[in-house]
This record gives sequence, C-alpha cells and structure tokens, in this order.
Amino acid sequence: MQFIISGILVGTAYAVLAIGFCLIWGAARIVYLTYTAFYMLTAYFFYVLCTLIGLNIFLAALLSIIISTLIGIATYRLCIERIRGHETIVILVSIALAFFFEEGIRSIFGSLFRRVPPFISGYQELLGVRVLNQYILAFGVNLALIIGLWLFLSKSKIGLAIRATSQDREIVSLMGISEKKVSAVAVTLGIGLGTVSSVMVAPIYVVEPAMWVPPIAMVLAIVVLGGLGSLKGSLIAAYILGFSECAVVSYLPIGTFVKGAVALLVMIVILFLRPEGMFGVNFEEERL
Amino acid sequence: MSYIRILYKIFELDILAIPGRDMALVGIVFLLLIGITPINPYLLNTLVFASIFAVFAASWDLLYFTGQLNLGHGAFFGIGAYVSAVLSSRLGLPVSVTIPLGALGGIIIGLIICLPALRLRGPYLAIVTLAVPPILKGIVFVFPELTGGELGIFGLPSISDSPIFTYYFCLAVMLISVSIMWKLTDTKSRILRTGIIFCAIREDEISARTSGINTVKYKVLAFVVSGFFGGIAGGLYAHTMKVVGTSTLDFLFSVYPLIWSIFGGAGTIYGSVVGTYILYFFSSQLLIYVPEVRMVIFTAIIVIMILFMPEGISQWIRGKFEISCPRCKIANSAVRKFCRICDAPLH
Amino acid sequence: MTKRIVMIVVSLWVFSLITIGLTGEAKSQTGKSIKIGVLSPMKFIDGFNLWRGAEMASDEINKAGGVRVAGVKKPIELIKIDTNEELSVTDAVMAAEKSITVDKVDFLIGMRRSEAALAMQEIVMKYKKVLIGVGALHPQQCTRVAEDYNKYKYYFLIAPNSANVGKVLLYHLEDVSKRVREELALEKAKLAILAEKIIWADPVVKAVETNAARIGFEVVGVWRPSSMGTDVTAELSAIKATGAHVIFQVASGPMGITLAKQWGELRIPATLVGGSSEAISRHYWEATGGYGAYTTAMTSFLRVKITDKTIPFWDAYVKRYNDFPTNTAGTYDAIYVLKEGIERAGTIDSDAVVSELEKTDYVGITGRIKFYARDHAFPHNVVFGPGFITWVVSQFSEGGKIGCIWPHGWEGVTYEGSEGYKIPPWVVEYWKKRK
Repeated sequence: MQFIISGILVGTAYAVLAIGFCLIWGAARIVYLTYTAFYMLTAYFFYVLCTLIGLNIFLAALLSIIISTLIGIATYRLCIERIRGHETIVILVSIALAFFFEEGIRSIFGSLFRRVPPFISGYQELLGVRVLNQYILAFGVNLALIIGLWLFLSKSKIGLAIRATSQDREIVSLMGISEKKVSAVAVTLGIGLGTVSSVMVAPIYVVEPAMWVPPIAMVLAIVVLGGLGSLKGSLIAAYILGFSECAVVSYLPIGTFVKGAVALLVMIVILFLRPEGMFGVNFEEERL
Repeated sequence: MSYIRILYKIFELDILAIPGRDMALVGIVFLLLIGITPINPYLLNTLVFASIFAVFAASWDLLYFTGQLNLGHGAFFGIGAYVSAVLSSRLGLPVSVTIPLGALGGIIIGLIICLPALRLRGPYLAIVTLAVPPILKGIVFVFPELTGGELGIFGLPSISDSPIFTYYFCLAVMLISVSIMWKLTDTKSRILRTGIIFCAIREDEISARTSGINTVKYKVLAFVVSGFFGGIAGGLYAHTMKVVGTSTLDFLFSVYPLIWSIFGGAGTIYGSVVGTYILYFFSSQLLIYVPEVRMVIFTAIIVIMILFMPEGISQWIRGKFEISCPRCKIANSAVRKFCRICDAPLH
Repeated sequence: MTKRIVMIVVSLWVFSLITIGLTGEAKSQTGKSIKIGVLSPMKFIDGFNLWRGAEMASDEINKAGGVRVAGVKKPIELIKIDTNEELSVTDAVMAAEKSITVDKVDFLIGMRRSEAALAMQEIVMKYKKVLIGVGALHPQQCTRVAEDYNKYKYYFLIAPNSANVGKVLLYHLEDVSKRVREELALEKAKLAILAEKIIWADPVVKAVETNAARIGFEVVGVWRPSSMGTDVTAELSAIKATGAHVIFQVASGPMGITLAKQWGELRIPATLVGGSSEAISRHYWEATGGYGAYTTAMTSFLRVKITDKTIPFWDAYVKRYNDFPTNTAGTYDAIYVLKEGIERAGTIDSDAVVSELEKTDYVGITGRIKFYARDHAFPHNVVFGPGFITWVVSQFSEGGKIGCIWPHGWEGVTYEGSEGYKIPPWVVEYWKKRK
C-alpha cells in the first residue's frame, strides 16, 4: 500500500518535470540539460526570499518562480538560441551552464543543506500510510499543471503550433508559423513547469547545490522510455519509473542506494530494444 | 648518411614549414626539458597529471571525431583505474601488468557500450553514455569488499620511486598514445585510411554506408581504441594518485575531457592535448589563488568558449599563423607570399 | 631555419624557468613563525569546525606569547587549506602537496573524509611532516603506523578510530534499549536499522545485528540508502509498517538531516537514535526545522564536565561563532598537544617532535589524551576508555538545546551535566494507546 501511494506521488512529481523537458526537446529540439538546474535555482531563491528575508511564503514562491523563469529564458536567449542547430554543442553548453549555476550557488551558499518551509505542515494518514500534507498539496498542484498543460496544448492556437512543431519543423515554417518563436514559448513553458514544481517539492526534500543531478538522470530515463517528442509517453513512463523506484525501496531495502542506477539501466535496455520508446515518433535522421 | 639527410628533409618540409607544427615541436621539447629542471615538485606533479588527463581527453576526442558524443567517458577511465587498483592491491600484480589490464577493462566496457550505441545517433547516444558511469558506480557499491565501496582502494604502489622517472614515463605514454590516436584520425594519410573513414562517418553515415564502408566495424574500432586509451589513463592515474575512489565515476569527471578538448579544439587530437595542459594548469593555479570560485570561473570560460570560439584555441591560433593554399590546399605559413609546393599566390 | 628553431626553444625554456621558478618560490620560509596547516573541506560544516577549533587554540597561544622553541617564543601561523575532500579526492591530494611544497607548512592537522585522508596521509608521510588527524577515523591510518613505523610515524589520530566509535554506538543503543523497554513495558523491542551505504557503517550494522538479541532487540529490517539521499519517506513508511520501536541510524552525510526532518514531520512512532555526524550543530537544527528534536548523535565533547576545560571552551566557542561546535573542533586539543610536543622537543624537527608526541599526557577538552605505543594494534591512536577519551552521545531537546546522554553510568563514568536519554512524547503516546 505504501508502495502504491508513494509511487503515485513520486510519479506525478517526475511527470511534471519530464513533460516540461519533453516539451523543450520536442518543440525546440534542444536537450536542455540545464533544466533541472533551474529547478535548483528556484529552490534557492525560495530559500533566500522566505527564510533569509522573511517574505510571506506565497509571495516568496511566486517571486522565485518568476525570477527563475526569467533567468531560464535569458540563458536560452543568450546562449542556446544562437547554436540551436547543432544538437551536440547544445548538450555541451547546457551541461556547462548547469555546472556553472551549481558552482555559483555553492560559492555563495556553501554546500550545506538548507530547508524551505512547507505551505501546509503536518501529515495525513491515508490507508495506513503517513503522507506529508505538503506532498499531497504538491500532488494536487502537479496534477493541475499537467491537466492545464494538456488543455492548453489541445485547445489554444499556440498549443497547436507547439504540437505541430514537435512533429515536423520544416513544414511548420511553410505553414507560416515562426518556428523560432514557438521554440521560445515551449522553452518558457517547460522551464515554468519545472520552477512551479520545484517550489512545491522543495519543502519535502532538502535544498543543496547538487540537487539538480538526480532529477535530470530520472527525467532523461523517463523521456527516453516514453518516447521523445511524445508527452503522453513521458507521463506514462514517469509513473512506470516512479513505481519502479519505490519498488526498489520497499522490496529491496538493502538496495535503496541503487535506485537511481536502476532507472538508468532500464533506460539503456529500452534504448537497445526499442529506441523510439513507447510512443515515440520515429525520425529518420535520429536513428539508423 | 643519406638516410639522415632524407629524414632531415622530411623534418624541414613537413614540420618546420608549418607554424602550427613548429609550436607543437617547441611544446614537446619544453615538456621534455622541464623534467630535468629544478622546479617545485607540486608543479611537476601537476604536469604528470596533465599528461595523464591529456591521454584521457584525447581518447574522448577520438570518439568525437567519429561523430559520437560520449558523456560518460569517465567510465573508461574509472574502469581502468579500478581494474588496475583491484589487481594491484588484491592480487599484488606489478604496475607494468596492471595498467595494460586496466586498459583491457576499458576495451571491454567500450564493447559493452557499443551494443546499444551502434543503433543510436546524436543525443540518444549521448544519453546512453551518460547513464554508464552511475550504473558502474552502483556496481562498485554492491561489491564493497572488492572495490572498497565509497572509500575506494588505497595504498597502491606508485609507478616509480623517483618523481622524475614517473614524469617521463607518463610523458612518454602520452606522446606515444597521442601519436597513435592522431595517426588514426589523420585524414590525409595514405597508409592508414581510418582517419578519412571516421571523418566520413561523422559527416554522413548513410553516404558512407552506401560507399561500401562497414561503418559498424569502424564505430566499434573507435569505441575500442577510445576505451583502451581511456583505460590506460585510468591505470596511470591509479598508480600516481595511489588511491582510487568513486570520484572518477562522477558526472563532473566525465565532463572534464569535454571541456578540455573543446577548449583546445575538438576533433583534433592535438587540440585536446593543448586544451588539457592549458586548462589543467590554469585550474591548479586557480586552486592556489582563488579556490572558492575556481569552478565558477572555469565553467564560465567553457560556456564563452563554446559560444564564441567553438573550434577551440588551437584552431584559432592556427588560423592566425597559417593559411591554406587556394590551389593545392597545403598548409602554409601565413607570412609567405607564395605556396611552398605549387607556387600559387597565397593572398 | 635551424637557427630560428634553436633560438625559440632556448628562449622558451629560459622564459619558463623564470616564470615557474618565480611561482614556485612565491611563499618562502621565514622561520619566524610556526606554520601549521589545517587540512579541511572548508565549505562543509565539519570543515569549518576543524578550522575554528584550531583558530581558537592558536589565538590563545599567540596571545600568551607563542610556542617556546629552544628558548625563543614563536607565534603560530595557521594556514587554511581547503581540500574539498568531500567532493574530490584529487583536489585534496593536490592541496595537501601544495601546502607542503608551496606554502611550506611545518605541521599539518585536520582531515575529515577517510578516502581522502588515506591518500593525503601518504603524501604528508612522503615529505616527513607531522600530521595529526582529527576528523577522519578510519583505523587503517593507524595500522599503517604499525606496519611501517619509520614511514608513518609522523601521523597521530586524536580521536578514537571508527572501530571504537562503533562501540560507543553500541553502548548508546544498549542504554536506549533499557529506557524504551522500561517506558513501554516491553520484553523485546523491535529495531529497524537505517544505515548509509558507506563502508564504516558495514561493521557497525553487523555488530548491531549480532548483539541485538543480547541487548533486548529484535531486528525487523535493514535499510541502506545513499549518503546524499534527499528523500527517505519511502524508507520511513516501510519502517513504520514493520512496527519498529527504535530506528538506529548511521549517517555521516546530509542524509541525516533529511531523515530527521522527515521523521519529525511524519511523527514516525519510533525513536530515532544512533550516529549522525551532522546532528550536532545549529545548522542541523535549522535545516530540520526543529524536527531534529530527540535525535541523537555522537561527538567528541559537549557542554558537560568531561574535564575542567570543556565547558569554558564550549561557551567561548558559542560566544565567538554563534554556533555549537562539532566533533572536529577537537583541533583545539590537537594544536595544544602539538605545542607541548614542540616545546618539549625544543625544535620543530619532525623526528624530535614525533618522539615527544608519543609521550603526550595532556588533559584537553575531549578528555585525557595519551597515544597508544608502537606495539599496540593501533599505534598513535588516542587511548580509548573510561578516564581517557570516550566521546559522548548528544540529544537535542525541544527548544534546540543540546544535551549529553551518554556516558551516563557507563563503567562508572558520568560527566557532570549529562542527563539520561529521553523518548519523544509522541512515541510513548502512540504505543501506550495501542495497549
């Protein structure tokens, strides 16, 4: 029972991050590894505004989301946009940027673990399992984000443009959609998702400069498993890998330290057997 | 006697005439001589590590030359280090045996990574390689009696008791390894065709296939050679540090060869060597003077380099001193007015 | 052509000799002060405690004039050496080497992470400099002294090695078992073990498992998360499901903070005891948001009367740094021990100082410091036991105050000011209700 509830909560949290990442990859064709670094930055801004300066928690959260997203967009504009065509170079730059942020935060705040206050404290007892209220709130918010995004993508015009760009970039330009603008919007949306999720989830975990590394490994595994370019795939894969992570903890307690490695192993096996993942669209130039 | 004259002629034409190679020659002579000058032992040690890491970076660059981006190159290095360490400490084998066996470990990992890698390209390949070091790390933790867990293996014998000998040994290994790797990627060579084939695979694999090249064989070769030299670097590292831990399998460690190679000039083996020496030296100097913000400065440099000078420093310098002849495409010193081979005007 | 080449080569060599020569001799020996380098990962909590303890000692000594070396009083010059050992062993090794060859330190103290410490020890021994270890407790640092005395004799460990520290945990667990069974009226209590996947935890876990029945426990499960873990809610829920009364933790990394925070937030009905290296500072209290109350940890000293010097030091430290000292502030004792060794030897020559250090019998803030002799299993390690160095176990109380709960009647040792272990009230409530 514990395993099921954990799995759902963790899966939803991963799903939001994975969908944001997948959006950026699908629409802008960028493997934006700096993604979770923004997640980390948001947590730190939240910490500074709330704990050090003492702002009201909601205001602090809102401000940190806005600031991080702005930094994300600025970084995209300054660094990534000009090299958008060369995928491998983009990967390199995004890694370097992520480390730049990590080391920058580390030199300012040191490597100590910090904490941010939860929006709702306390816990509930659900079906015999103790769950933090903050976790339930995070679950709710994440779910709302996912549904909101789904509605946005399917109903609005921009959403349609994003979906079109994910499918075929060249034709999209012929149809009169500015592929560059769509990419920018997709990046903003993706980072926004990540930052909101960060604010919700940071009170449960601990804030430290290297906190962006385990999520990105998971997100990569999820996105690959689900199939690149497919948001639905990312959603489902997030739950699959979330559950598998909880399974390791529940049924193999001696092995909890390998839960990250197990996810990556799953990813490699999937890539070996079916590189386009579960629902991925098969692009000619991506594989042989 | 005439052989010496022929050699000298080759030397004069192929090496001295090209400013880039002049500088490389000066660099090599400098490295050879520095070993016997009375410099601070800390600096000598830095140079030893620089030569080991140069092999590491060059092996990454070799793979990059074939168009495959390896984000988990630390795996080769780490395996080489761990295999050498385990063989040395648990079985007591001498250094001369453990290092080649470490390289063998690198080859095996290279072959294992090949399996999924051959079917993938671009970002997919990068992600798979990214996943390898954490998995290896997990394996290390599962067998702590063998691998020492998070403490690692310590008390390894050094390569030699004399730091000068160690320096020259590592330097020699570096020069030989880099020469081999450079020859393998030399597109103009008539004897070894691997250079031009790797280049073809990078540019357009499908066309290469249609031209009858067995791309699978060459990609496997690239992984094997890259793994071999990565493993050698790892083995050398184990016996110079005398301690091996999981730090070699960290993500950041796999990013270093990328940074060094790109800074120096990605895709050119000598570029990664140059980049490693400059950056590693620079970073250990920073360690002395501004340890807190060292990595921040470092990563900022990388980002700026990639954005504004993506061909790397060695290429930029070459661009300043060399010109390619418009007719016969041979490299010429930029101060010349006429090409040294075909006499065409250069400007 | 040839002339050009020869010219370039020679000029380059000369030029580089000059530059390197300059950088090499940048900081030269003055001989007017005694340079003691503090090897520590300065950005981490144990790191800056290593530095602060040393700083307090050297400030006191310098105020009194300095260290007397053969009739002349010389001041101590402390040099900060950031090893970054928590993140990179290579950095640590290079930093250690640089401190000797570039900064020209005379003595070295500190170190925190065993993996790096073993590597740094090699380098320092190569240069024959005295090294007093304070934070890294791996016993092999001392067994090496036994194996190759002439090479490793310059090393001393001023804290009990991790084997002895493991014993402390076991004594503490025995104490807890008595209290829990008494309070909850149980024959046997259920014990869950949550130990980081680190190598020094392995023998501790084994020891607990073997001794569990003897001290009144039934082990219901063993969880091994990674030391950098940021979420242990799954483990905690699984533990609760087993009905454990006591959770025994072994944590040396930040996972300890996560564990305490989530344990407190979820009000897990089991007491959280054991060793958590992070759990002895104000930072821990803040980072867990106060949920660290009732958690226990091991450290070298607390605000109790281990010796007459302990409480004054604690108060002075809190006043100066507005924080509680951790076990690595034992560098304070290390500096004093070193000072006495140098003064008795009358010189800073390493060999002479080593023979004097071996004769140390000094009462510091952590207890009475004597080193095991050459023929002991762990030579140059501090003597461990009642009347010497025992370490202590701390417990946070609701208000953020930190108290001592062990030794409390162990082998006749009770430090003035210590209290017994307190069980969190919600745990008592939960189990009493169940009856």
